[in-house]
Amino acid sequence: MRILVLNWRDLAHPESGGAEVYTEQVLRRWAAAGHEVTLFAAAVAGRPAAELVDGYRVVRAGNRFTVYREARRWWDRYGRGRFDVVVDETNTVPFHAHEWVRDGARTIALVHQTCEEIWHINAPPLAAQLGRYVLEPNWLRRLAGAPILAVSESTRDALARFGARDVTVVPEGYEPPGDLPRVAKEATPTAVFCGRMVSYKRPREVIRAVQLARREVPDLRLWMIGGGPLLDRLRREAPAGVEFLGRVPEETKHDRMARAHVHLATSVREGWGLVVTEAAAMGTSTIAYDVPGLRDSTRAAGGVVVPPEPEALARWLVELLPGLTTAAPAPLPYGGAHSWDDVATTLLAAVDQHARVPDGVRAATPATDRSIRENQLRGADA
Amino acid sequence: MRISFVVPTRNSARTLDACLASLRTQTHPDVEVLVVDNGSTDATTEIAARHADQVLQWGPERSAQRNHGTDRSTGDVVVFIDSDMVLEPHIATQIHDRFTARPEVGALIIPERSFGDGFLARCRQLEKHLYVGDEAVESPRAFRREIIDKLGGWDEKLTAAEDWDLADRTREVTTVGRVTAWIWHDEGHIKLRATFAKKRYYGRWIDQYVRMHADSSGSKFARTALLRKPGRLLRHPMLTAGLATLKLTEAAGLVMGIRDSRAAASASASAGSASAGSASAGSASAGSASPGSASAGTR
Repeated sequence: MRILVLNWRDLAHPESGGAEVYTEQVLRRWAAAGHEVTLFAAAVAGRPAAELVDGYRVVRAGNRFTVYREARRWWDRYGRGRFDVVVDETNTVPFHAHEWVRDGARTIALVHQTCEEIWHINAPPLAAQLGRYVLEPNWLRRLAGAPILAVSESTRDALARFGARDVTVVPEGYEPPGDLPRVAKEATPTAVFCGRMVSYKRPREVIRAVQLARREVPDLRLWMIGGGPLLDRLRREAPAGVEFLGRVPEETKHDRMARAHVHLATSVREGWGLVVTEAAAMGTSTIAYDVPGLRDSTRAAGGVVVPPEPEALARWLVELLPGLTTAAPAPLPYGGAHSWDDVATTLLAAVDQHARVPDGVRAATPATDRSIRENQLRGADA
Repeated sequence: MRISFVVPTRNSARTLDACLASLRTQTHPDVEVLVVDNGSTDATTEIAARHADQVLQWGPERSAQRNHGTDRSTGDVVVFIDSDMVLEPHIATQIHDRFTARPEVGALIIPERSFGDGFLARCRQLEKHLYVGDEAVESPRAFRREIIDKLGGWDEKLTAAEDWDLADRTREVTTVGRVTAWIWHDEGHIKLRATFAKKRYYGRWIDQYVRMHADSSGSKFARTALLRKPGRLLRHPMLTAGLATLKLTEAAGLVMGIRDSRAAASASASAGSASAGSASAGSASAGSASPGSASAGTR
């Protein structure tokens, strides 16, 4: 199959994140399986406008704001008629490929998470209001008529609120490190938090919960792993029993995660909450806030979700710690997620099954066949 | 000791999964979960089927659903939980321990806290906090089977205040104890307009309750707990202002509901009953005299 994937960033981008890892893992497997794969993403300083990466082609143009327009322009000039399916990978802003792919190719969107509350954390006040209540609902409603793939039940529910009906949940992938740390659990009860010290991860609430729990488990400790803008402030204010490690190498992170008795997660919202998956693969259970995304990964990993309040987290922590310190769970294969091989296969099947020719060009009658040909002719002219 | 949880539902998909998951992860080994749905049109029954031992259909109202659940349950203890509640993992264990240690106790109160998003949810949190330990507001949720059988279950004539009614009748026949673990009540996103509509609906039933229990109703409506700890209120002036707005909205809704009920009653009884009309006007003005003087339950 000839596949075009549109994503705002590729893995070479300095700010690439979880969605880019997902894309890279899947695309290299599709390419290896003999498909002709192209990824369109924003330009990256010092990287060519087109190159071959792991068997698939990466085309780069535009910045974080103009990449959407550049994608369409590139499609009009070079893409039209050359692909069987277009995957519109949505990171808050959709490319809306279903509105401008008019050559009979099929389209489908892939959504990791909706932004919603996170607007207030990433944008200044007025822009955040505009983004959350005007822009994003508008974008998602436009997308709602197209077939969509979502990486979690939570994301599917969120999309349903914006009117999307044709949403299929596809698995999240995780590859445990080759050499799992073989360490014993700590002697004193230990909790670990792992994530950037930014407000939407709510690191303060973890510290507060542990502080409350220490009234009943006085020797409880907390390891805070991760860098970020709040780190220095939190470190200054930290109560007894809390140790900040800052940003650490992967091996150190995995070692600490494996030695702790329980992993705590308190984000406002996630697409999946991969850190929970990671902890489970190290043999550490999670107690997480019952919020979109964390809910999915925590349940899949056999953890427990609690009402999103520090007091609730503290109460559950105190009650569940005795069980967790006496019998640690075995490392969970893929931490409750799936191997990337699985994800690539399932995702391709889902794309093949659910992608549709956009409504305006629906190929149901001979008339539509003609319109496709006309489109192709027009494409050749351009 | 088997503990049966009975959960009445109606279009409860938003909160039900968290509720049932918390029942399923109780540390007590012998727990039974029954969901009694009343014609939900959302994903309620699918979610229920994932967790519950039995999913039943019954109506027409919450009291009838709970009684049906009681009949079909097999536990030595029956606990009535709402679909927007999340239970701490050791509640069933504490119920077992308390009933085993004190044979004279026939019913148990489980204290509640609330959570939710937005400013009004935080106001509600403050309110719930003030009620803890107030006998007039808290109602028992866990009953020994022989006690709930003896009481004849929930009063199916009531749709609001049915918990106070059952609490009153329970205190007449047995000692009511309490556990220390908490129920976390999901308030979601509180909207004033929806609050008003709900209270107006409940108001009709409150009127019925007041007529049935003319003597003991005062303490329930006065909600003196709200004013008994002024320090707590003064410490959070913004939340207090929000709470006052919330309670006023509720009071207004309730008064409207009671008026609806009286109007319907007097219209159906006889056209010439002027005394009923004046009584309704009197109670309405009394009800709106002070903020928080009237509120229907803490649901």
